[in-house]
Amino acid sequence: MKIKKILIANRGEIAIRIMKTARLMKIRTVAVRTAVEPNAMYLSYADEIFDNSEDISEIPVFLDIDKIIAIALNKGVDAIHPGYGFLAENAYFADKCIDNKIVFIGPSPDAIYKMGNKTIARKIAIANKIPLAIGSDGNISNEDEAAEIASKIGYPVIIKAASGGGGRGMRIVRKAEEMERLFNIASKEAEKAFNDPSVFIEKYIENPKHIEFQILGDTRGNVIHLGERECSIQRKHQKLLEEAPSCALDSRLREEMGMMAVRIAKAVNYYSAGTVEFLLDSDRNFYFMEMNTRIQVEHTVTEAVTGIDLIEQQIRIANGESIKFNQGDIKLNGWAIECRINAENVQAGFAPDPGKIEYLNLPSDPNIRIDTGVQTGSSIVASYDSMIAKLIVRGKDRREAIKNCKMALDKVWIKGTKTTLPFFRMLVRNQKFQDGTFTTAFLEKDLDKYYFNSEYEEMLAAWLATKLFVEENLEESSINVDFKNGKELSPWLLNKRINQF
Amino acid sequence: MDISGKSYKAFIARQEALKKQYSQKQAEKQHSKGKLTALERIRLLFDTDTFEEIDAFVTPANQPVEFGKVERSFGDGVIVGHGKVNGRLVFAYAQDFTIMGGSLGVVHAKKIAKIQEMALKMGSPIIGMMDSGGARIQEGVASLSGYATIFQNIIHSSGIIPQISVIMGPAAGGAVYSPALTDFVFMTSHTSYMFVTGPNVVKEVLNEDVTFDQLGGAEIHARKSGVANMIYDDEENTILALKKFLSYLPSNNVENPPTVADDNSTIDVNEKLRDVVPDDPNKAYDVKDIINLIVDKNSFFETSELFAANLVTGFARLKGKTIGVVANQPKVLAGVLDIDSSTKGARFIRFCDAFNIPILTLEDVPGFLPGVDQEHSGIIRHGAKMLFAYSEATVPKITIILRKAYGGAFIVMNSKNLGGDFSFAWPTAEIAVMGPDGAVAILYRKELAESKNPAELKKELVKKYRDKIANPFIADESGYIDEVIDPAVTRKKIISAFNALSNKWVKVPARKHGNMPL
Amino acid sequence: MNDKLQIKKLYALSSENRKFSFSLPLKNKIRIGKRDYLVQLKADEKYGTYILWKNRKYPVEIVRSRQNKYEILFNDISYTFTVETPFSLQRMKVLNSKKGKPEQENVKAPMPGKIIDILVREGSNVLRGEPMIILEAMKMQNEIQSPVNGKVLKVLVKVNTCVMKDDILAEIKVE
Repeated sequence: MKIKKILIANRGEIAIRIMKTARLMKIRTVAVRTAVEPNAMYLSYADEIFDNSEDISEIPVFLDIDKIIAIALNKGVDAIHPGYGFLAENAYFADKCIDNKIVFIGPSPDAIYKMGNKTIARKIAIANKIPLAIGSDGNISNEDEAAEIASKIGYPVIIKAASGGGGRGMRIVRKAEEMERLFNIASKEAEKAFNDPSVFIEKYIENPKHIEFQILGDTRGNVIHLGERECSIQRKHQKLLEEAPSCALDSRLREEMGMMAVRIAKAVNYYSAGTVEFLLDSDRNFYFMEMNTRIQVEHTVTEAVTGIDLIEQQIRIANGESIKFNQGDIKLNGWAIECRINAENVQAGFAPDPGKIEYLNLPSDPNIRIDTGVQTGSSIVASYDSMIAKLIVRGKDRREAIKNCKMALDKVWIKGTKTTLPFFRMLVRNQKFQDGTFTTAFLEKDLDKYYFNSEYEEMLAAWLATKLFVEENLEESSINVDFKNGKELSPWLLNKRINQF
Repeated sequence: MDISGKSYKAFIARQEALKKQYSQKQAEKQHSKGKLTALERIRLLFDTDTFEEIDAFVTPANQPVEFGKVERSFGDGVIVGHGKVNGRLVFAYAQDFTIMGGSLGVVHAKKIAKIQEMALKMGSPIIGMMDSGGARIQEGVASLSGYATIFQNIIHSSGIIPQISVIMGPAAGGAVYSPALTDFVFMTSHTSYMFVTGPNVVKEVLNEDVTFDQLGGAEIHARKSGVANMIYDDEENTILALKKFLSYLPSNNVENPPTVADDNSTIDVNEKLRDVVPDDPNKAYDVKDIINLIVDKNSFFETSELFAANLVTGFARLKGKTIGVVANQPKVLAGVLDIDSSTKGARFIRFCDAFNIPILTLEDVPGFLPGVDQEHSGIIRHGAKMLFAYSEATVPKITIILRKAYGGAFIVMNSKNLGGDFSFAWPTAEIAVMGPDGAVAILYRKELAESKNPAELKKELVKKYRDKIANPFIADESGYIDEVIDPAVTRKKIISAFNALSNKWVKVPARKHGNMPL
Repeated sequence: MNDKLQIKKLYALSSENRKFSFSLPLKNKIRIGKRDYLVQLKADEKYGTYILWKNRKYPVEIVRSRQNKYEILFNDISYTFTVETPFSLQRMKVLNSKKGKPEQENVKAPMPGKIIDILVREGSNVLRGEPMIILEAMKMQNEIQSPVNGKVLKVLVKVNTCVMKDDILAEIKVE
């Protein structure tokens, strides 16, 4: 192996994930300590630590290309793994790594750039006859052009940012009258989030399912897919729960969509791990959305059903090796569900609830895998993200996976912040979820209650409230005051007080 | 005595007549409104079987001129007496609305005055439970003079014994001055109200339509006027809360406050304290989170919670001993001081001083509230109240500077030079003449005007200011504060400091009284 | 403790008006159907405070309390209860029957500033004191709290709206 030392330009659970695989591959790892979380759990998994905790600049080090490269050179690493988020999809960063003779564990800067720009990605998809939603040919420069194109496509349409996702710079326009206002809002938002106000327009597909395919490619031009993931359970475009595979796909549709995913990856000479996202409408038509040129949070469910370590594959591919298996070797075994347990208050619209984890007890079971970056005493810091842990549960089929998930959720014990656990406990009991008929509109439209509590839980809480009231007010010992104590003053003091009047 | 004797029979008959007066039927009159009877309130306040009623059988005074009917009832509409509340002697009176509307007649007033005098003689707290239609019209000016006596007694006892009013019904016209003069006012929502001039007169004179609740209900007094310190949704909880409240207070101004057995359940060193104040100086936090981490578990009893919420006041315990807490609240109005909060703070501090309750001040104040409104309404003299109160107080005083402490507000919040005994600061403290933005704008006005990138330069200068001038270590090194401490050990530090100050005594200058700005 | 006002039963009223009644003296037992089940409040180093019920541990935290109002975090769900006596419950009935048209309360800006966060939406239930809107003013974030218990009728501002003192930010139907 040429790669002997890797710098992890990330933190939290993904840093730990990468370091775990690197250790198995006998590769040394370097992690960066920051001022924000100098005692974070991920640091204890690294072989070497670069201490950056003196640096209090506002830009997190994981977003600072020059600093990361400098650390990499200082520590003499062979490769950098960017994880997800931060610089993972920054083509300029990938370029800089190459310039400095550091292997970037990910695809080529060119592939990152092309797929990172949504309008270019669309053009490539069109050129390769990959089905996608009708839309503008390129970026839209003003609201008049937007209105014109929209009327050609037919409302409803969706305005999207060319340079980023996650719901920002995105607006659904249902009526022509709204176009001017929403165009401007979307454009401004895109500029603020991605430093690029460019937006484009697509036909808006109502209530689709979000299906994505995991891709692996090597530098020899081999590209295969590892099956799909069902990611329709989202809130404001943030994924909450993912499954592999999806009950919406049969083997024929899987083959078809998989073929398209591979095709577009090949079109940009893709290597390393990547994800091709599709929307699936109620008529089982699928449309290419975008490609994510990085390892994703939910890569875990694909690993659970294929048995393949994706981080290991990434490192090998970066090492110049070719993929040792072909498409026919990929078999999906059983079913996996991942719940993203975040420090969020479900009752307050999933508002982040940063704080310190006081007690953390996680279940261990052959069916359960937990990827986490926190332990008892860790602080969930608002400036990073609110993730506490990923709970991944396996089953031999979807029904069993849901059943195992239900049991696992009851065994997770977190005290110190509010979590999304009650949401998942409700979800696994929800009929529509169990039927698999949910779409991306599920959370906003089909749910009236966002959390689960069993019929006794409220009563037990009521009992506790009553018990406290009784203890504080109605018992002999409620107010155990010693009035004599106040009367026992030192003679010096008593004398002075009495004589002062 | 022969049980069958005539005198004993008369005695029994009288007792029966009294019982009949307080029958279930009478009680229904109050219950149907959701109110308790005077007797029920007394029984709820006092420990079982400890209440001794006085003057239960007095009858209303003879009227000089017959005008309107006067019920021949026992007690003249008020129950007075003494008993034990959680084992301590307390005097109380409870007006009875079912008897002549609880109106104050000559005899009614005399009973209250009697109990007030007794309380003062015994050096015990006195509770007034008010539920009265006001002065008894039939008795004319004599009933008004009854009020005057009651007010005078309150004033004579003020600062000597704790006096608490509980408003559980109407309190209108002159009657409202009673609660205004006492130390604290508890009020029950929806079924009680206080105003000087009622809605009828308001309608007549000003043609304004307003309900009893809108003019002087509990919410209004708790939130807007500040007259009511504690309000509760029902009478039982009002009285239960009052009992809890009393456990913090001494019986008189010579004693120390009582102590509660400390179960040692609050840890002395708590790392959570380091996490409460955010790194971003413009981000707010709830100072009550800090208070609850410092004081004994569940011991913080907030006063005037809804009034001037930008300053938090209340009683708490440290290792079982009562302290008074005054704290700026950053999440309301950025924690600035203004007219209402200065008044609230000053009154609270003076009560603590009168009754030997040590004061803990938690400071995070960016200054006074700016604005024409505040200036024209006299923030100058109202702000001075708190300054006066702090300096005048001779009880142990400790200040912890949590974050901002700028300018005049820094001095006002019990600074060392104003007579504070110990002043500690957290590492997040910023002590300066003024905030960084203002200071930089003044000192570097020229440079900023000439700079190509003023925003960038300002940011740099603000950071420099925070690091070099406003940091607490400078104040520490020059002796203006005593120590910069690790937030985690705050409780330990405070307890040890208060222990050192437990026998503090300062001679008060010999004068009739100071001339505090009012 | 109170002979004339002997309280034999207590009621815990949830914020959604569900009533749970408990007889006094309060026991560590709750009756379901014909059986009594043991319920205990415990604490230890591994789990913190918890309730033990039917052999299962439930994480519990007392978030806030004021006289008879308790906010309890039970198994990750937050509940607010007021504990009522039979008399105070009766009183509630009496007062509610007297109430006329439900009032409306306007939430106003206490000073000029910019709205940076809105925590509720039309239809949200709010409790008195609950934070509704975050207003940035004087370089600080201020929590605008609900003055009453009720339901949000309208939110009249959006994130990034600039408001003046006394501008109406939201309308609440008072409960």
